[in-house]
Amino acid sequence: MSAYNTVIGLEVHSELNTKTKCFCACKNEFGDKPNTNCCPVCTAMPGALPVLNRDAVERAILMGLAVGCKINNYSVFERKNYFYPDLSKAYQISQLEYPLCVGGGLEIEVDGKKKFIRLDRIHLEEDAGKLIHDNAGTLVDYNRGGVPLIEIVSKPDMNSAEEAVAYLQKLRSTLLYVGVSDCKMQEGSIRFDVNISVNKEGEPLGTRTELKNLNSFKAVLRAIKYESNRQIEELEAGRPIIQETRRWDDEKGKTYSMRSKEDSQDYRYFPDPDLIPLEVSEEYIERIRAKLPKLSHQRVQEYLSMGLSEQDATLITQERSYADFFEAVLKLFNEPKFVCNWITAEVFKKLNAIEDEERTISVKPENLAVMLKMYKQGEINQAGARKIFDIIWEKDVDPVKLVDELGLKQMNDAGALKEVLVKIVNDNPKAVKELKDGNEKTMAFFVGQAMRATQGKANPKMVADIVKELIK
Amino acid sequence: MNYLDCSMTEVVELLNSGKVTSQELVKLCFERIAETTDLNALNSTYFDMAMERAKQIDMARKNGEKLGCLAGVPIVIKDNINFLGTKTTCASKFLENFVSPYNATVAQKLFDEGAIIIAKANMDEFAMGSSSENSAFGPVKNPIDTYRVPGGSSGGSAATVKAKQCFASLGTDTGGSIREPSSFCGVVGIKPTYGRVSRYGVVAFASSLDQVGPLTRTVRDNAVLLNVISGRDEMDMTSSTTPVPDFTAKLEQGVKGIKIGVAKQFYTDKLSAEVRESLEKALAWYKSQGAELVEVDLPSLDTALAVYYIISSAEAASNLARFDGVKYGTRANNYQDIVDLYFKSRTQGFGKEVKRRIMLGNYVLSSGYYDAFYRKAKRVQKVIRKEFEDALSKCDVLISPTTATPAFKLGEKSNDHVAMYLTDIFTVPINIAGVPALSMPCGKNAEGLPIGMQIIGKHFDEQTIYQVANAFEQAHKEGV
Amino acid sequence: MSITIEDVKKLAKLSRLEFNEEETKQFVQELSATLEQVEAINKVDVSKVDLLEKTVNADTELRADAIKQSLTAEQIVANAPESQDGAFLVPITVVED
Repeated sequence: MSAYNTVIGLEVHSELNTKTKCFCACKNEFGDKPNTNCCPVCTAMPGALPVLNRDAVERAILMGLAVGCKINNYSVFERKNYFYPDLSKAYQISQLEYPLCVGGGLEIEVDGKKKFIRLDRIHLEEDAGKLIHDNAGTLVDYNRGGVPLIEIVSKPDMNSAEEAVAYLQKLRSTLLYVGVSDCKMQEGSIRFDVNISVNKEGEPLGTRTELKNLNSFKAVLRAIKYESNRQIEELEAGRPIIQETRRWDDEKGKTYSMRSKEDSQDYRYFPDPDLIPLEVSEEYIERIRAKLPKLSHQRVQEYLSMGLSEQDATLITQERSYADFFEAVLKLFNEPKFVCNWITAEVFKKLNAIEDEERTISVKPENLAVMLKMYKQGEINQAGARKIFDIIWEKDVDPVKLVDELGLKQMNDAGALKEVLVKIVNDNPKAVKELKDGNEKTMAFFVGQAMRATQGKANPKMVADIVKELIK
Repeated sequence: MNYLDCSMTEVVELLNSGKVTSQELVKLCFERIAETTDLNALNSTYFDMAMERAKQIDMARKNGEKLGCLAGVPIVIKDNINFLGTKTTCASKFLENFVSPYNATVAQKLFDEGAIIIAKANMDEFAMGSSSENSAFGPVKNPIDTYRVPGGSSGGSAATVKAKQCFASLGTDTGGSIREPSSFCGVVGIKPTYGRVSRYGVVAFASSLDQVGPLTRTVRDNAVLLNVISGRDEMDMTSSTTPVPDFTAKLEQGVKGIKIGVAKQFYTDKLSAEVRESLEKALAWYKSQGAELVEVDLPSLDTALAVYYIISSAEAASNLARFDGVKYGTRANNYQDIVDLYFKSRTQGFGKEVKRRIMLGNYVLSSGYYDAFYRKAKRVQKVIRKEFEDALSKCDVLISPTTATPAFKLGEKSNDHVAMYLTDIFTVPINIAGVPALSMPCGKNAEGLPIGMQIIGKHFDEQTIYQVANAFEQAHKEGV
Repeated sequence: MSITIEDVKKLAKLSRLEFNEEETKQFVQELSATLEQVEAINKVDVSKVDLLEKTVNADTELRADAIKQSLTAEQIVANAPESQDGAFLVPITVVED
């Protein structure tokens, strides 16, 4: 088998976190009872008309600016006409010929290699409703109908499943940094479609297929691997690739054909006469640009100047929520390196234990700040800090109270410690001799004994100092 | 004195002076409706609701409360305008049981000014037609000659005003649907500037061309009603922020010095002799009153109908896709699956003309034809709009016939849709250009059928149209 | 521009409308006649026409993002041919069309 290239382009749909829907003033909210966030507009009652939400436009532009798009001063909403019960008007308001944002791109890194993935466009459109299957039939809920979405379309610049996932992770991270979308995969607020083709080295691009129903990064990874292998096998067997849409079956780990190009839809796009073309002035774009939050690369620079290592700065900015958390803790306890060490070690350990791809830090920054302060000042020792951390990760409790309740206050009373240690030193002549002979490791034995005797409260540094003094 | 013979303005005065109550007027209107049911002008009536509202208003008036400018006046609205709790059928079988869950902005404005909406007027299905014969509930008849059509699509709105079932009505106009029936029934009707009146809650036929407008017995009534329904609406992005003047302000100013544009393209050989004669007489009268007649040119006027059929059908095909049997309206009985449900529900629910326009609309939008038809038509529209702007830069208004002939007979054109489409040749260009135009009676033919004159104004200059129209009306009070 | 039976069938499908054979044939004629009529647009020179339309200012003329009271689910489904617990009911619809 000769070498094949895989060529991948991605279309990402991301719901914008506006208060109201894109074209009506109904609440943009997930999880409410069917059709309770609906009005004549989003349920396509005869006579209802769409009115564009300014914040949806602003959020789309913000994202465009964050990834270096050109913002078009003139953009047009068009109707994409097709019948489906989740689409109340039987057309989706979208953009085709004049999208809001064009160009731009993102840098990804796979196996230490950096690569720039170009974007084709970002346009604003509306989401469809939801179908719920029931014994009686299918139930149609338009609560999600009309929720603003941006569709982010990449150029076919990726060549492996790993690159595709790295791109998606970077894109999701950017969306979260910009703060325009919640990106909850479970709730479907971010969704991915993959365009994929294979071709032999040096030959023109192959026929592509489109993969749908990919609800997680893992699914994207597996589906791309499966599909590129399938296409290669087809070609090797002398069968042409059919341009079609294929659905990923996550349980079976396979893609299967949904429809081919021949019976593809004729969407009859045309400018929506209810929505006048949009004019976005340069001056307005600049005002929106001024609202751009700090993005990850800007935060990395800031953290480096605080004295963090490049590795730590990168680690802590991989998600906006981590960086925000870090900064929130710093506001109350300004010890960047100390805080960062705890987050990259202890917080990340907790996060990594979460199965879900969407991981959130569940400890309150103020609780962690209080706890770390006590730790740093020696009021509690590391064991105590960990114990408290376990508890404040699970629930919102005041660490100061916890220290009292659990009796974790570090024993810093030299007199009392000395009393305990005199006994330990007298009881363990063998260990004393070893220590005197220069075996520093024996010190750990004394610290351990001291901890046992004080229920873990002894200040280990003071223990070592006193032992050294006692055996002089 | 028969109150039903009064104009809306007169009846408002009678109400204000306490000479008549709103409840009396509602009763009179319903008596008249009962006497004239053969006209089939109304699809649904709301006696109890109207009486209830009339009672409230009479009471409020008695208590000296501040009332709206239409307080207590019975009014009819076209059956494609949503009014909470009334049926809004669009004269379609598809929506025969649809009850409005909300108010159109124009209905809300009428309500807020105290108007009493007593009924919904029959029409061509989804406003597609020029005779009001395309109604699922049977054709509307012309009150002047019941063997003739009242025009369409707002035929019910024109007939109900002419037959004195109410004091004024609202219609909608996409290609002549207010002006042509006004002409055929001898009433005053205006299609305001596109964007002047909110379309929110008015069931869309062709969104970029549709406008709501009043049909009345006098020019003044018309101006008063347009005052009420005009203005920017936050619910309709296509409604204009252009300030709304008082449309009655210039009514009495006469026409001395007014420049009236006459474009030869409106006076073609398609015009019947009686219509031509009537218009010539009207123009001569204006000249005698000190108006100046100016020759203007509209070279692309005859392509407007083609532009209209492409744009309006394309928009209609998309606008009417929501009628799918899922959320409201007709759902066929025996369907196999969702796709079958769509096919059967729509096939059963829509009439022939509606299907024809949907098919044409989808043709001009479909891949491979879009550029040649839709995109091209939008460009030609710009040319036509420019020609109107140029013509109107040389004069204050244009005057043309509203239709080439007076009302035709029921059934006369119903099997020839091309002939039917040609009925609108003088009204359609106005919608394409987006300018306002009013139709009013300017004469009668030998059989006593009214002939309509169309007064076309500059964008957002309905005021001058009313000025020019009122001068003529005042001078021809004894009838034209 | 002439229309074929196949064209009409395709359009009927796009339009979600059913026609019997006779109606289909009639449509071939009618649509052809209408299209002949609309050919008139080709008489006009549009080479100098600017494509851009009038615009709305994104900054000042759009809706502010403030929630307004929605209707109740009961009101939303009041006209529904079939509904269940405030949702519209349709035959089982599984895979995207």
